[in-house]
Amino acid sequence: MVRNGEYKREAGEQNKDLFTTAFKTTIPVLLGYIPLGMAFGFLLDGAGYHWIYAFIMSLFVYAGSGQFLAVALLSAGAGLTEFAIATLLLNFRHAFYGLSLLEKFSGIGKVKPYLIFALTDETYALLITTDVPQGSSKSKFYFYIAALDHLYWIAGSVLGAALGSVLDLNLEGMSFVLTALFVVLTIEQYFSSEARFPFIAAVGAGALSLILFSSDNMLLASIVLGTLILIGREKSMQKTQRKQKAQETQETSETEKTQETEKTQEMQGISQIKKKIRSINISMQSVEDKIKEEN
Amino acid sequence: MLNALQMFITIAVIALATFTTRALPFIFFGSREPPAMLAVIEKNLPPMILLLLVIYCLKDVQWLTAPYGIPELFTICVVAGLHFWKRNAMLSIFTGTALYMVLVQFNIFSFL
Repeated sequence: MVRNGEYKREAGEQNKDLFTTAFKTTIPVLLGYIPLGMAFGFLLDGAGYHWIYAFIMSLFVYAGSGQFLAVALLSAGAGLTEFAIATLLLNFRHAFYGLSLLEKFSGIGKVKPYLIFALTDETYALLITTDVPQGSSKSKFYFYIAALDHLYWIAGSVLGAALGSVLDLNLEGMSFVLTALFVVLTIEQYFSSEARFPFIAAVGAGALSLILFSSDNMLLASIVLGTLILIGREKSMQKTQRKQKAQETQETSETEKTQETEKTQEMQGISQIKKKIRSINISMQSVEDKIKEEN
Repeated sequence: MLNALQMFITIAVIALATFTTRALPFIFFGSREPPAMLAVIEKNLPPMILLLLVIYCLKDVQWLTAPYGIPELFTICVVAGLHFWKRNAMLSIFTGTALYMVLVQFNIFSFL
């Protein structure tokens, strides 16, 4: 019984450590989501809506740019279909996030639906770059990160909606913390992965999309474009590989052919020798016959 | 202004649309084997998306009017340089953010 209690306490401490690690990982998101959430709450408050709606939206929708778009559509008096289509288009980039998480999320248990629901840009960036501490539960660690981020966002938006007009904090520039976070995580990816082409694809697709698309559509456009570039490159590499293979097989068959011709040439040589031997034999016979006649 | 019921319905629609985009790949490849091409994409997507998110953060920068995006580019260079040098994530992120807040709040590049 005592042992069981000790074990439980130990497990509890481990859990605490895991939570602390997750919390430390999410600190940049905390500092980014508070001012961003406040900006959203402030906007919604400015559109004339009670702060409880900021809370409900952040709890159930939980999409940064999606919620800003919603405020704009609310002010414009948009219809439900417009809300649905605009949100689908704006957040469609998240479908690409899931594509690269299929394996990581497989067998993760009952937290999976929540992790999928809470897959914002920032949480995605943390999940793909953070290693689960050794000997700890992946599902718990991921859940802590996702839930903490979610909590920051809710807290920020409620703060903004309830106090935005009262507080006069100068938080201008603070949401740059998220840009800095993405820069750092990109560099970490550069260190941990040997692949270099994805960065080239990103610069190309990103620059092109910045020029060609409005800032609202830019991210989805660049992700689609970049993915197409990745697929195109993979296909062309497979093609050249196939070509190389084909060439190799051709070369081997050619060497086989030359070997064969050599063989046939040898055979021909042998048969010629045989013929000569035969002719010599014949001439020998004739000589022998002559000798016999003379005898 | 929407009333409470309309507001709840609208929020439900937005929530559903957002969740759909996030759940799509898991629904689609939940029961069938993903194609071989996906393995390559899966490996290469994260670094590409991370860099695209950095570029996305610059989407609202006005490149053609003062200060020509210099505060953003300058700070990103500082963050990247610091991170290549010390490789301390918290240090790079917070130094960069503090620097950027000073740059924009005191309008340091106003001479441009």
